[in-house]
Amino acid sequence: MKNLVLLFSLILSFNAFSQDNLPNIDVKSLDGNTVNIQEVTNKDHVVIISLWATWCVPCIKELDAISDVYDDWQEETNVELIAVSVDNSRTVKRVKPLINGKGWDYQILLDTNNDLKRALGASTVPLTLVIKNNKIVLRHSGYSPGSEDELYEKIKELSK
Amino acid sequence: MKKIFIIAAILFSGLAFAQDNGYFFGGFESNSQWLLDDDGLNFDAPEDQFRSNNYFKLDYNLGMFTAGVQYETYLPSALLGYAPEFDGHNGIGTYYLNFKTETIDVTGGYIYEQFGSGLLLRSWEERQLGINSAIRGIRIAFTPLEYLEVKAIYGQQRYGFEVSEGVVQGADASIDLGNAFNMENLELNFGASYVARYQSTGTNDTIPSTVNAYGGRLDFVSGNFYGGIEANIKDPDVIANEGQLSSNKLYDGTSMQVDLGYAKKGLGLSATFRRLENFAFYSDRLAEGNIYNQQLINYTPALTKQQDYMLTNIYVYNAQPRLIIESYDQRSGEVGTQLDLYYKFKKGTTFGGKYGTKIAANFSYWAGLDAEYDINNRWYEAKFIGKGPRLFRDFNIEVKKRWDKKWSSVVTFQNVIVDEGIVHGGPLGPQGDIHATIAVLEGTYKFEGGKSTRLVLQHLWTNEDRKNWAAGVLEYNFNSRLAVYVADSWNYGDDDDIHYYSIGGSYSKGRTRLGINYGRQRGGLICVGGVCRFVPENTGVTANLTVSF
Repeated sequence: MKNLVLLFSLILSFNAFSQDNLPNIDVKSLDGNTVNIQEVTNKDHVVIISLWATWCVPCIKELDAISDVYDDWQEETNVELIAVSVDNSRTVKRVKPLINGKGWDYQILLDTNNDLKRALGASTVPLTLVIKNNKIVLRHSGYSPGSEDELYEKIKELSK
Repeated sequence: MKKIFIIAAILFSGLAFAQDNGYFFGGFESNSQWLLDDDGLNFDAPEDQFRSNNYFKLDYNLGMFTAGVQYETYLPSALLGYAPEFDGHNGIGTYYLNFKTETIDVTGGYIYEQFGSGLLLRSWEERQLGINSAIRGIRIAFTPLEYLEVKAIYGQQRYGFEVSEGVVQGADASIDLGNAFNMENLELNFGASYVARYQSTGTNDTIPSTVNAYGGRLDFVSGNFYGGIEANIKDPDVIANEGQLSSNKLYDGTSMQVDLGYAKKGLGLSATFRRLENFAFYSDRLAEGNIYNQQLINYTPALTKQQDYMLTNIYVYNAQPRLIIESYDQRSGEVGTQLDLYYKFKKGTTFGGKYGTKIAANFSYWAGLDAEYDINNRWYEAKFIGKGPRLFRDFNIEVKKRWDKKWSSVVTFQNVIVDEGIVHGGPLGPQGDIHATIAVLEGTYKFEGGKSTRLVLQHLWTNEDRKNWAAGVLEYNFNSRLAVYVADSWNYGDDDDIHYYSIGGSYSKGRTRLGINYGRQRGGLICVGGVCRFVPENTGVTANLTVSF
């Protein structure tokens, strides 16, 4: 018990220096090229990073829901969504047919040995990050229907 | 205790000298359970009623350097079903120091790595399974040219809070041929790997102390078609069962995987063929087959669909890469295939309706190798494909549809045949099969203001094992942060007629997520990423907390 209390106080103190940078991790694109996550999010507009997996039902629901309104979002704010799949080699072969079967327009990246997921301290997916000027300004775990509307409000604010 | 103070002191002092662009990051995760007696399940809470797995990870980045530690506690005992090596222990689980530039990446300490699809080497962490197979040693990744990457690793594999007796070394090279030769319409990647384990053989000089494994892979993308092939071979080595060598005889091992796919907007097809023969590679030869997935160098997941619901997760498949030649059990590997189809009926068409309709169909078939076994001479011979004992056959289809702004639904149908040995343990083949059909209906209704509710109704039909089940889940989301649910899986077909009820909720805001549940846990296989661990039946309260910073 004492250990847990000490850990808690350590965490609280380190919160003061909390990370708002994306870690310097390499992931792969669908055609096997290495992509650095800090470089690919280094843009003028707002970037959303969504960690998902083919086996994660709420992740697919969230990406489907955003896909329905993605064109409108992009027209209004120029926002870009990068969907990083944490599928490991067991399920990664499903990524390509699934994204095509659904007709998603996002840039898809693969984090097959979960290096990015581990560096972000994400224990579950979906994990949604909103990046502006290379800093993480919003972080949310989980998805419930309608939360993409809240997300868009935040994006509109940041894009002004 | 002292260790924490030392680390904190080092980090704080480092902070004093930190430049503007240095920053900390990391996270804390705590998974706890409070077990309770339950007469209905015949479950008596063990002496350590409170169990908790905690992970505290802290990293620091400054320019091209990153360092980190992960401190873990399993106090007073680890959660049920985890390797006993963790019980009652706490300490530094992993640490590392990394230097990275555009062309070179060097790590000392505990490293994670995967070569190709992991059939030869994968060191990874999956806390839900109690797996952390990080290798304590050194990793070097070198990218001398834009299209060439070479990696090398050397070290001992983590095992609880210690390291394996065996030393693992490996090298991997991958070349992007499409880039190298400036091919316009063809992506072609070639890779080659080498992994070896050195482990002292003590007084036994008939078995090898170094076992080598080699492999090659080729992946391509051309227009809408894509695919790949990977083949590996493992030099002759002994086999062990339950901590003892089966004999001094040596057997080699092979693995092969072929993938083919076609994808264009609105349609995706994927087919996989894989054959494994004696292909489980451990960093301690005597650890072969241990039920906690410890000290495993390679990764051979079950290539089946990860199912989403309670009743579709009862009869699941666990890959069978091992060779066993005993009078009570003979097996040498597995061979099989998996097919996936994804299709979207466009908006406006008959089946599409107003928003479109999405279909996902999956088929998988896995069988043991068709082999002859000579038990007395401990010899076997397996055909390449043949007609070995069927272990798993699954057909499932899922239809997702949004009806209007408020309603959406998912209908799932599954028909599965699984060998008794896969579900309950024991020899594969002679125990017979379990045939089951499962149907699931899910509906979601979206209210105003980010509120929504979801209802799931499920039913499983089978004449074997525990007979029929009926299940349901009702979930309510107050907003994007708070959700509550109540669920029950009712095994009404069985004489015992047990309800596995559960109620709980979760709160998620920014960097924090807290989930709490109370109820009964059905015993069986819990599978994450195709690797399973057995969870005994239990009743209690569980809490999961994650904070990242």
